[in-house]
Amino acid sequence: MQAVKEALHVATVPSSGLICRDDEQSRVLEFCKACVEQERAGGLYVCGCPGTGKTLAINMVKESVKRWANDMGMETPDALSINCTSLANTHEIFSKILATLQPRKKATGKLPPLQQLQTMFSHKESAPRRMLLVVVDEMDYLITRDRAVLHDLFLLTTYQFSRCILIGIANAIDLAYRFLPKLESLNCKPLVVTFRAYSKDQISDIIKHRLKVIEYDVFEPMALEFCARKVAAASGDMRKALGVCRSAVEVFEARLHESSDQEFGVVTFDHMDIALSKAFKSAVVDSILCLPQHQQMVLCALANTFHHCKKKATTLGELNKSYIEICRSTQVPAVGMLEFSNMCMVLSDQGFMKLGQSKEDKLRIVMLKIDISDINFAFKAFDFYWIKPS
Amino acid sequence: MAAAASVASQAQALLRGRICDQGFVHSALRSSPDTNYSKLKYLVGSSVSEACNNSVLLLGPRGCGKAAVVEMVLDDLKKEHPDAISVIRLNGMLHSDDNCAMKEIARQLCLEHQLSFSKMASSDDNTEFMIDMLRECGLAHKTIIFVLEEFDLFAQGKQRLLYSLLDAMQSLTSQAIVIGVSCRLDADQLLEKRVRSRFSHRKLIFLPSSVDSLQRLMEHLLMLPKDSHLPTKYVMEYNARVTSIFSDKKFKGILNSLTDSDATTSHILRFLFRVVSYMDMDSGLLSMQSFMNALSSMQRQPKMDSLQDLSILELYILVCMHRLEDKEHSSYNFTTIMKEYKSVQDAYRTSDNYSHNICFRAFEHLLDRELISFADKKGKALEYRPVKLLISSQELAQSLKLNTICPAVLQKLLDRERYM
Repeated sequence: MQAVKEALHVATVPSSGLICRDDEQSRVLEFCKACVEQERAGGLYVCGCPGTGKTLAINMVKESVKRWANDMGMETPDALSINCTSLANTHEIFSKILATLQPRKKATGKLPPLQQLQTMFSHKESAPRRMLLVVVDEMDYLITRDRAVLHDLFLLTTYQFSRCILIGIANAIDLAYRFLPKLESLNCKPLVVTFRAYSKDQISDIIKHRLKVIEYDVFEPMALEFCARKVAAASGDMRKALGVCRSAVEVFEARLHESSDQEFGVVTFDHMDIALSKAFKSAVVDSILCLPQHQQMVLCALANTFHHCKKKATTLGELNKSYIEICRSTQVPAVGMLEFSNMCMVLSDQGFMKLGQSKEDKLRIVMLKIDISDINFAFKAFDFYWIKPS
Repeated sequence: MAAAASVASQAQALLRGRICDQGFVHSALRSSPDTNYSKLKYLVGSSVSEACNNSVLLLGPRGCGKAAVVEMVLDDLKKEHPDAISVIRLNGMLHSDDNCAMKEIARQLCLEHQLSFSKMASSDDNTEFMIDMLRECGLAHKTIIFVLEEFDLFAQGKQRLLYSLLDAMQSLTSQAIVIGVSCRLDADQLLEKRVRSRFSHRKLIFLPSSVDSLQRLMEHLLMLPKDSHLPTKYVMEYNARVTSIFSDKKFKGILNSLTDSDATTSHILRFLFRVVSYMDMDSGLLSMQSFMNALSSMQRQPKMDSLQDLSILELYILVCMHRLEDKEHSSYNFTTIMKEYKSVQDAYRTSDNYSHNICFRAFEHLLDRELISFADKKGKALEYRPVKLLISSQELAQSLKLNTICPAVLQKLLDRERYM
């Protein structure tokens, strides 16, 4: 079982390569090969939702380019990977690129790194011989107000003797159009490769591919299909699918411990169902049912206020009035204003509602942060209906 | 007599010590199956023994025992795997700034592994140090457990710390577990989509206990053990008395009234501490009276006490203010109150008709007692500044009922408003 969990772990890279990303990988590979062959620079932009395999695919492309260059007898390009969340300052990216190109030279403080790079790429003598493959991960952290850093980064590839192959990875599909209009005018728009979210078939193919290492069938086919369908409908995020499969294996293991019969079963549809409901369920209804009585009545008053009219916000004073009405109708003595505002603060602390600021306590704005249908569903279980039909 | 007193004080000290010890309070969780404690222990334990990365979020209202469960799990695991775990603790209120958090992580790592920490290290150095340490510990099969309290405060701003922690866990070389503790139930919705994708969806929800489990908790804490150094006869008498109190119907009423407002464990512990403090020192036994005293001391109403001391005229003024509020006057001042007072006197012709100056003195007295206050910061003459009530209608009604010298007409005035 441990081998199964390891095979399904997000960090494991399958040794036989990625599947379902051949098209995108070949596009990036062709682009890099062309750049290395013709010894010219270029820019590429990879985009897609989180969990679609961008970083993994680009890492594989890096290895492939190195191998290909070796086979063809050309100079292997240097590779540099930068994750922009680790940069304290957006300009540091230039000093990092400079440090890779000139490893022996110490950083001279006279000119800023960007200018040094620009002068280096403009003259034939100072340009480095080998190509440099720069992979910039989480590129949207480089977006500043004046967008200078992004512009300058991509403009580095336009110099006559530039040697950079720049691959940028981010989530926004239109980063290139929205943030780099100058590049369009200079006619050097970067090539855009979109990694679409995984479909149901792709998810189940990838999981089966990972489990090829294990000899026998670990999952029931219906269970895998159910998982793939649910995750594809929600986000198409591969990490979530792998996480759900792992927790289904854990549920299976826990059942094995309890029943203590040692036969090697398979992970069935029921185990997958439990794991999926844990992953996708929200805790709201359960926690509403466990609130103390008066706090439940406050939530009920809030739901009532928004049920009747289409408003989104109300004040604490109005809420107090409807709360007192509910208390009167259910013959429960209401609490005073001070305790009421304390209860509202506790509820907003837990994320059920949001309280605004105001000088006067009664004029504080109250907004509901959870779904009204959750409140309706929770209170249906009570004997008497607190929510009056409109 | 002296012997009995010393036994009582010893018993009291023992009980107080128990209530204040978080480890003892939650130790009953160790034996019960399928609690959040056992789930968390299984999760962390299997991650440590299988040397893989994991992340989990503990959610629940304040005072439900989340931090206590984390401490228990960590204690147990340290005993089982003495050298394989090191713990880094961060708190969202203290370390929400990324640089500060990185410095704290580096400092704690240095402390655990007996390296010297340099205060001059920059944020970059600290990040690199953390990543190197993760790699080293991964090679040495040591797991680093990050405990992030007030997790929702880390999710403000750009969430760099969370991203770098969770990203470091995506590689095979590191062995880390991230345990987030938060009181916001939607803490995982606050995460940015990149961070949320890297965070596993595991959540453990802590809910306030039901009345039955509260009763079991009280038994666990209040029953004296037979093997303590107190005399056996006393222990048996004490335990018998406590059991009889628990089965009394009045006790259920006390418990219900307590859990109506707040059912969390910390609230119950505060209540139990007061119960033990109200122990009868002569006999050394608890009684129903100690429980009732504790309940009333937790539900004190200081404003009710000052309402009892007011004179009739002051009560009139409060009732008039209440009538004005009920008539939806958004703001009113002393002059409007006097008009209302005069109209009431004209309607009912009571003997409590006082002149303007005397009423104004009563008004100032109410301001001093802070039962009413001005609604604006500063301004015109005292008679024309808007005022507001600082007590609720229930408190006013209840105090009128309890006041023996209150004239019946006041009650009628108040009642007329509420059921109009």
